[in-house]
Amino acid sequence: MTAQEVRLCGLLLREHFGEVVEKVGTHLLRSGAQNLRTIIHETGLPLDLVKKSLCVLVQHGACNFRSGRKGPGCPTEYQASGDRILRILRYPRYIYTAKTLYGDTGELIIEELLQRGHMTMSSTVKTVADRLTQNMEEGRSMDYSEVTSAFSKLVETQFLQRCPPMGGARNTKDTTPGTPASTALLTPESFPDCYKVPHITLIGRGKRRHSSDDGEDQKSAKKAKMDPETHGDEGIYWQVNFERFHLHFRDQAVISAVANKLDQTCSEIVRTMLRMSEVTTSPSATCTKPLSANEIFRSLPASYNILRPILDQYLTLLVDDPMEFVGKAGESGGGMFVVNLHRALANLARATLESAVQERFGSRSARIFRLLLRKRHLEQKQVEDFAMIPAKEAKDMLYTLLSQNLVQLQEIPKTPDYAPSRTFYLYTVNQLPTARMLLQNCYKTVANLIERRLFETKESKRLLEKSQRIEAILASLQVSGAEPEQLTEVEEMITAPEKQQLESLRLHINKLDSAENQVDETMFLLEAYVSSTATSTA
Amino acid sequence: MTERKGPDTSGRNEIRELCQQFPHGITDQVIQNDMPHLEPQQRAAAINKLLSLGQLDLLRNSSGLLYRMKDAQSASKMKGSDNQEKLVYQIIEDAGNKGIWSRDIRFKSNLPLTEINKILKNLESKKLIKAVKSVAASKKKVYMLYNLQPDRSVTGGAWYSDQDFESEFVEVLNQQCFKFLQTKADMSRDSKQSPMVQRNSSFATSHEVWKYICELGISKVDLSMDDIETILNTLIYDGKVEMTVIAAKEGTVGSVDGQMKLYRGVNPVIQPTGLVKTPCGLCPVFDDCHEGGEISPSNCIYMTEWLDF
Repeated sequence: MTAQEVRLCGLLLREHFGEVVEKVGTHLLRSGAQNLRTIIHETGLPLDLVKKSLCVLVQHGACNFRSGRKGPGCPTEYQASGDRILRILRYPRYIYTAKTLYGDTGELIIEELLQRGHMTMSSTVKTVADRLTQNMEEGRSMDYSEVTSAFSKLVETQFLQRCPPMGGARNTKDTTPGTPASTALLTPESFPDCYKVPHITLIGRGKRRHSSDDGEDQKSAKKAKMDPETHGDEGIYWQVNFERFHLHFRDQAVISAVANKLDQTCSEIVRTMLRMSEVTTSPSATCTKPLSANEIFRSLPASYNILRPILDQYLTLLVDDPMEFVGKAGESGGGMFVVNLHRALANLARATLESAVQERFGSRSARIFRLLLRKRHLEQKQVEDFAMIPAKEAKDMLYTLLSQNLVQLQEIPKTPDYAPSRTFYLYTVNQLPTARMLLQNCYKTVANLIERRLFETKESKRLLEKSQRIEAILASLQVSGAEPEQLTEVEEMITAPEKQQLESLRLHINKLDSAENQVDETMFLLEAYVSSTATSTA
Repeated sequence: MTERKGPDTSGRNEIRELCQQFPHGITDQVIQNDMPHLEPQQRAAAINKLLSLGQLDLLRNSSGLLYRMKDAQSASKMKGSDNQEKLVYQIIEDAGNKGIWSRDIRFKSNLPLTEINKILKNLESKKLIKAVKSVAASKKKVYMLYNLQPDRSVTGGAWYSDQDFESEFVEVLNQQCFKFLQTKADMSRDSKQSPMVQRNSSFATSHEVWKYICELGISKVDLSMDDIETILNTLIYDGKVEMTVIAAKEGTVGSVDGQMKLYRGVNPVIQPTGLVKTPCGLCPVFDDCHEGGEISPSNCIYMTEWLDF
């Protein structure tokens, strides 16, 4: 984990779980796998706080434990996973995707699961039904069966998965020591029941919570924890399947790129192809399984009634496009077509790099950058000639790009001593290292944005507290039935400039939040590209 | 007196006649055959005299030395100039239309620098040679004969006028070509025909673009198709245009070696990426920014401006 990643993880943990968890989490990220005693000793926190933080981290899947490396009998070691913590940044995007695909029910299910980490199906269904009922009109409530069916749909399309059962160090002590299975990190997919919905008996409707029932509700909440009611799915916990969401985002990125470059119909064809190969293609595949033109024709959505020869023409257009989104894999069945996923990701990453250079340094530097990406190695004179930029300006731009490490210099000596007058100096751009560098910049940018947001909130803390107090007073006055004059008197306790300050603070925080999401989109593209190259070379 | 002059002049006259007989040049062997009575020393003296008078040219070919008659015009030009000037003139003439640098003249003639400069000034005033500034190194001056056209490598071709790179000219051409290709693509998209026909009609060959630019008349100099192709290549590097090569029959207009280059305007693949929508993506001091330092997110002026926008 790089320093920037650790810093960002620390900030995310602090925002979502508090400073104690942040301390334990960042310590684990920096030092790798450690056992409980070492953690306590090095962080200086009391035992129960450390235990609670580890519980929180494990509950959210950010921390794994396994028996010690030095053999059986060694205390368990805990290891934090930085990637999982960075996913916290993407929670809004996951929730929004679930909303577009499965409506409000799906959105709330995903939100609950993200908030709680691991939950059983029955408790999820109950909580979501209660929340939905809360927002409906008086007299209507949400049936459990609707929520259950939404949950099952999510599991069918693999957006939710079962958590791997925790074998734990205890079991391995009873069984033969040193079983290899316990040392390897088990993925949820290695269990056959990963996507099986358990049969639960859950009949009822959501309960509406009234404000007058506050006192009663607290009692019933406590009662619910010790509720002996079982629904047949004890011990089966569910978590959100982030990889599936990432595949969905990747597909969306490819489809929108095709729509931008070609036209709407082509993007619909690519969307159909990707939909058909959703469950048959493995996540790290270079391209989808070959689909015949006949199948594609049959699976096109009904609204797009285009003729068969026109479809063939569109497919040929897609294959001939220099971006190589779609490739032809054979002639049977009217032509077998695949979507080249890795190549599409590489093209998107390249477009991201070019756009970053263009916005930061200008369109002529972007021209030089694209030229070097295309032609690999060029001398300075050749760069000036191809790009048609005057020599002085071209030199300046090249040196700026070189100092920012976006462009590298390759020396090719003519003589064994590297005499400068007798050496070729060639400029070149390597896409993968540059993408990694830009990714680290993204991490730093998000961390900067979060810190700025915390700073702004801290600056206006006094003002925020005052406005909160006034709101509480207003609410209580309204409940106890006060006159309008009293209400206006309380409202006027906030002066107009303070109201303006609050308003601008709200705008600032919103802007910073949305900027974080935008940078996260870039982060996702670059991460997907880097991981796709890792699997293809491995 | 006449006796003394006799053998010398006759030798010279005979050599001159021989040269006139063989305009391509005669070798020493030919002179010897023609005038067997002339001794080698006298022959050499006669040849040297003719050379110094500027009536004979000394050339070398694979088999040996050749003597050729110089035409009367050029002979008259050099009258009044002395040997050194003639030597320098010869060197410059040999350099053809690429011209030669003064230091190279010095190496070839072994004359001191001051002499060279004097001679060059002399020749320039007589309008026999001219100096042309090289585009590669702006301080360097190359000399060539007055009536020769400088080579492209010296003047830089169509993109340079007076040794200055014409960037505005290039920019204007760039935009014109792009507009032409873009309107063509838009027209084909609006025509609503089958997709294949749409795509094919949005392509333009380099020949078509060249004709369009010539007809537009924005260029003072004549542009060749290669020049237009270099402009179209810069559009490719801008990401606005893509190119394919197709096989074309020899003889169709615009085809070079059985191929034709087709260009087409394209749209960008993605919107400007999220990172550059934040101040950090464009920040010039990004690497110096740390929490608690002089430059930090909390006191970043770029962020303050951006938030208040």
